[in-house]
Amino acid sequence: MNALSSSRQQAIRSLIEHFIAERLAAKLEGLADDDPKRATLLAQYTPAAWLEDAARRAGQIQAVTHTLKAIHPDAKGTNLYCLPNSLPQHALVGSHCLGDDFAGDVVGNAAALDVYKMLKLEHDGQPLLSLLLAEDEGALAALHDDAEQSRSLTAAFTGITCARGGLASHTHGKQLYWLTGDDPCNDADFHLLAPLYASSLAHRVYQQIQADRFGEPAKEARQARRDKQFHPGVIHEYPDLAVQKLGGTKPQNISQLNSERRGDNYLLASLPPSWQQRDVRLPIRTRDGSIFPAFGKRPAVAELVRNLRDFLLSGPPPNVHTRNSRDELLTELIDELLLYAAELWAFEPGWSAKPECNLNRAEQLWLDFRRAEHDAVFASEWRHMDWLTEIRERFANWLNARLVSKLSVGDVENSYWAKQAGSNALWLDLDWLNQAWVDQFEREQRDLEAEHE
Amino acid sequence: MNELPVSNGLLIIPHLRVQNANAISSPLTWGFPAISAFIGLMQAVERKLKGRFALMFDSVGVICHSHEAQVSEGYQRAFRLTRNPVNERGETAAIVEEGRIHLDITLIFGVSGYREDGQPDPVQGDWQQRRQIATEITELLGSLRIAGGSVFLDPQHKPLLEPLAQGEERSKQFRYLRRRWLPGFALVSRDDLLQAHLQHLQGENVSADLLDAWLDLSRLNLRAQETRPASETQPANVEWRAQRVVPNGWLVPIPVGYSALGPLQAAGSVANARDGQTPLRFVESLYSIGQWLSPHRLRDVDDLLWYASAAPEAGLYRCHNLYSQTLCTDDME
Repeated sequence: MNALSSSRQQAIRSLIEHFIAERLAAKLEGLADDDPKRATLLAQYTPAAWLEDAARRAGQIQAVTHTLKAIHPDAKGTNLYCLPNSLPQHALVGSHCLGDDFAGDVVGNAAALDVYKMLKLEHDGQPLLSLLLAEDEGALAALHDDAEQSRSLTAAFTGITCARGGLASHTHGKQLYWLTGDDPCNDADFHLLAPLYASSLAHRVYQQIQADRFGEPAKEARQARRDKQFHPGVIHEYPDLAVQKLGGTKPQNISQLNSERRGDNYLLASLPPSWQQRDVRLPIRTRDGSIFPAFGKRPAVAELVRNLRDFLLSGPPPNVHTRNSRDELLTELIDELLLYAAELWAFEPGWSAKPECNLNRAEQLWLDFRRAEHDAVFASEWRHMDWLTEIRERFANWLNARLVSKLSVGDVENSYWAKQAGSNALWLDLDWLNQAWVDQFEREQRDLEAEHE
Repeated sequence: MNELPVSNGLLIIPHLRVQNANAISSPLTWGFPAISAFIGLMQAVERKLKGRFALMFDSVGVICHSHEAQVSEGYQRAFRLTRNPVNERGETAAIVEEGRIHLDITLIFGVSGYREDGQPDPVQGDWQQRRQIATEITELLGSLRIAGGSVFLDPQHKPLLEPLAQGEERSKQFRYLRRRWLPGFALVSRDDLLQAHLQHLQGENVSADLLDAWLDLSRLNLRAQETRPASETQPANVEWRAQRVVPNGWLVPIPVGYSALGPLQAAGSVANARDGQTPLRFVESLYSIGQWLSPHRLRDVDDLLWYASAAPEAGLYRCHNLYSQTLCTDDME
């Protein structure tokens, strides 16, 4: 054995001895001097005896990165220890992203957890378990002076990363069929996939979210925001974050890391934006007999109008890129308008016939078009399509007014803006607008007529 | 396989109501069910039809019109649970949290009709035949479950089997179809953002990894912006603003499939498997970024559709959507 591994052996051995001594001290604390337990404990906690016992108990726990229990606490089956670097690497997010820096998890008898704590002792930044798995000479020698004994201890300790018994899933575990061939009707074209819970990955995400929510730098930044002060930090918000409790009142029954997370499994929201009819009011009593004031208040619309204004104020050169960017923003605005219309179409038709409805006739014809089914006058006006031009003009007028009113008097840019507005609007190309509208509405009309026949 | 199967028709099933669908789409995400649930539904439909029509199912798109997650209010959501039966000793059973969500969705299947036994391609049939097929498949759907939730059909909304037009006509057809999917939101894949954002983050911090990029895209990042006052006597104006990678983009973390944790196990060699005839593999969920878009933002039906692939040698079982690929080609033009 060379000098390097010999000094390594010394260092690791003292690490282990220190660990055992600490545990002994904790046990002895509070015991009377003449307590007969004292002698038993002292005998149990000699390094050789403790290691031997630990090797026996190692069989009761398993080091894992992927557990089955988190999926259902009654599921008993294979748990896996997969080094992130050994997993297939690809361009999506999964445990393989963790690299060397990951928290291993433990499942099994909680009374044997101290064995895992010992294996997590770090020498030179490397846990003992990794050293033993790599058959590091120094680490092997540190366990026992006798090579034979040391080998059997190592085998027992490294055994905790191996799946126990035969491979098994469970009726409470998830198993799903995935088509691997071409024909979904052919049973042989499927694989069964049994997903396990990626505990190490979940732990890293959990730690990140905890730090972003409760870490000191995050708290300072939040305070600065409340005080409307500047702070160089970034506040990370996780909207609609959900917590799933794993293991109910006994998170330690699931796994060691789950216990550290107090059973809280953070879930990031992947909900679609919320569109709810109750958020949309029927335009029955409207300002100026028009939906446009209310439309302009919708957050998405307000933001688009702001972006459009900012873009135009930035004085873009009058070229094709500018026109494209502007048209893109205008398209989005028109899309928002069509979306708004679609939301109103979801109401029971005929609402615009109420006497208290002060909505402009053209807008009624557009937004309550299914009223035509029972209202012959309405239907003939609708077919005439004059209202289409009127809506388009109303939209253009509204947008013009919004863009101009957004500018406060005295702005440096105002003179530029006024000039642009005066010289026939770079910002609102009516021909283009016509085209966009007519396209949409012609389809709509044909569609409706087809349905009525 | 990284190509969307070419379909010659669309089967559109509007406004299905799904009650108590699985809201826990993966161990790290909740909300809308995983897209693989819809791929699985599509394959189940094809299996149940047993060749009743000369129709292959290639891909599926989903529009969510409204949703009602069964969660508590507040900053941190918790799931509203159900009460399970007591155990044999009359004690309350251990609680296993399951998330539920009610949905109103439109399903769009990319389908390929073919000629069989001298019979014409069902997609090219006349209007009434196509409606008949669409209705029959919809009735079958009504007897299935979607992402674990029961399905309710609304007779007001008629399903359609539409032949897909080609060329110029196709984009016209799509614009007309997508209008009928309003208001709602379609899920598309933004794998491209994950990669681009990783590079961006690595520009600031070399040790940033894919997981950092994914989390960063899944949250709101608020930064303070200071505007200099006009005169020195006034205090500086500070505004905290959320910065978004895609302006107005509703980005969400989504599970997109599974990655192998080890070799494929021979059929029957793993205890308690669902069947003894299918090889089994232990896997973990794989994540990417998705975007919810109003259907009027989609440029083509291909933007909407998802399909699945399997690369057992690479250990990858995943779902694809090509929205971002067509974005890239648009940028290059």
